[in-house]
Amino acid sequence: MIDAFLNTFTVNGLVWLFVTLCCYAISVKVNLFYKGHPLSHPLVLTVSLVGLALLLSNVSVPQYQQSASLLHWLLGPVTVALALPIFKQWQKLKHYGWRLFVSIAVGGVLAPLLAWFTLYTLGSPISLQLTILAKSITTPLAMEATAQIGGIPALAAVFVITTGIVGAVVSNTVFLLCRVTSPEAQGIALGTVAHAVGTAKAIHMGEEVTAMATLGLCINGLLTAFILPLLFSMVL
Amino acid sequence: MLQLKNTFIGAFTILLAYYGGVYLSASLGLPIPGPLLGLVLLLSLLFAFPSIEKHTTLMAQPLLKHMSVLFVPAVLGVSVYWSDIEANAVALVLAIGGTTILSLGLTAWVASKLMKKKSV
Repeated sequence: MIDAFLNTFTVNGLVWLFVTLCCYAISVKVNLFYKGHPLSHPLVLTVSLVGLALLLSNVSVPQYQQSASLLHWLLGPVTVALALPIFKQWQKLKHYGWRLFVSIAVGGVLAPLLAWFTLYTLGSPISLQLTILAKSITTPLAMEATAQIGGIPALAAVFVITTGIVGAVVSNTVFLLCRVTSPEAQGIALGTVAHAVGTAKAIHMGEEVTAMATLGLCINGLLTAFILPLLFSMVL
Repeated sequence: MLQLKNTFIGAFTILLAYYGGVYLSASLGLPIPGPLLGLVLLLSLLFAFPSIEKHTTLMAQPLLKHMSVLFVPAVLGVSVYWSDIEANAVALVLAIGGTTILSLGLTAWVASKLMKKKSV
């Protein structure tokens, strides 16, 4: 934390923090303009804008990462802050009990295994195979978990966001095809498989969907981030 | 003024849980990431002292809402792995696109079967 602050309160640090926040502010406005459509997710645009700024000013990515280390450091506390939504949905969690856990576990086990199996059969390198295991959980948890099992955190972030966008874009069609009309089931599927991007989509589908998506996001993230490193520390 | 004080208390609580988790994970040599233990610590704190929910919300809500901006430095780092992505483009598209659609459908289907028996 001290390092992060020291890096931030230099001229470069403050300039890049300011640039990043400005790009983010623009991206949020654009996202609002498209009524929160998943394809206009603020991260996609912010990364493009900051990347463009780096290119134009001839600053390398590692230099930028050092300047913006405060933002990166905050990923730790934001992971901790995920305790709050779990606490707020506790009554719902108790109400649905094992049915909720089983539903979330189905998605939580299925999504990474299918993705891993695809990469495995198509002969992708082991580092990618390890990284994709965390693709369905929320980004801060996914980055922690992949670092722990020997994957690549930066790639994990990209996989996770892409998964979320795909999930949110196709969700309406998928629910229609599978004839799933219950808001609870839709919410659980969105939160478990498409994490925070799916939950953002759920906000447009009603309060019940959002509450269940939040639970899916938190429980799956928590369980996956616990189980993956434990599993790997036992096997290796 | 009170709002500011409460936000500070919230920030302090989150940092306490965060460093507690990091310390526990490092000192016990656990394979579980420190921030994750911090999450569990904060959850326990919330159950032990429900009154701090108000304070932590003040700090946690904006942090969670604008979480995306925190990934920017990490995601930009992906340029280093660009050749890996290109070499495995087809596999990755299938693994991320295809399986996400499949898992979404199956999860929703299982959930709807299970939830039907217990609606609010």
